[in-house]
Amino acid sequence: MTAVAHKVKITYCAECGYEPQTLELAKALMLEFGARLSCIELIPWEGGTFDVSVDGQLIHSMTRDGGFGDAAAIKDEVRARLTA
Amino acid sequence: MTIDRARFDKGLTYEAYKDQMTRNRDRLEENEQHVELGKEDLAAFRALPRPVKVVVLAEDWCGDVIANLPVLARLAKESGKLDVRIFLRDQNDDIMQRYLNKGQFKSIPVFVFFDDGFRELGHWIERPASVTEVRAKRRKEIFAAHPEFGSPDAPVDQLAEDARVRLQAELAKMRDETAKFANAEVVRELREIATRVAA
Repeated sequence: MTAVAHKVKITYCAECGYEPQTLELAKALMLEFGARLSCIELIPWEGGTFDVSVDGQLIHSMTRDGGFGDAAAIKDEVRARLTA
Repeated sequence: MTIDRARFDKGLTYEAYKDQMTRNRDRLEENEQHVELGKEDLAAFRALPRPVKVVVLAEDWCGDVIANLPVLARLAKESGKLDVRIFLRDQNDDIMQRYLNKGQFKSIPVFVFFDDGFRELGHWIERPASVTEVRAKRRKEIFAAHPEFGSPDAPVDQLAEDARVRLQAELAKMRDETAKFANAEVVRELREIATRVAA
């Protein structure tokens, strides 16, 4: 069996004060998936960004989907990628 | 929600606001020093028949507050005709709800101008549309000149870290280069509102 490294990236607007939502989501993913994720990368950005991707696939975007996204729905998306 | 004298007096002065900032005070003060006010604009504010009260919604993490509040502060200081009181957005949601951007977004800064009877003269939110437009155009030009940055519409996390750092530097440079224009547009729009005060 080959181990697969799954990486989550959260890109957030640092100029908009989105740190609390970013940390809350990162914590939820850490607690839910533990070492099944190889990395959770937090990327401070600008322009109202709040994007979440798994292995390069965008699973939530504030611009595209609106808001910060539902943590349960984001966890479902991540889980689906891990079991794919 | 109405703003009256009692509520207005609960706001922070600009100096008190700066004293409670937990971040970005250095950037705010640097912008304050670099604001250039035209003689004609300043004369228009100094010629106001009576002081105008300005309620501000702000937070210290917001880039548009860091850029634009110092412009208002310099106008107030150098004209002597703007009485500014600052309210923290997240502790004054009743005021924020009244001045939502496009009726739904809690964009800041918000500047609300009142006459001495607390009749609203007008309000201003976030940044001038002309500034958003110019910076969007310049952003497209940056991407066109740097194919390594990929598509301007693609998620930034798809960029390699070194490209991301270079893109961030290009965007910061663009903001610096457009700051003078942006400040002039802010002054122009604030002047238009403030001068509505009746003689």
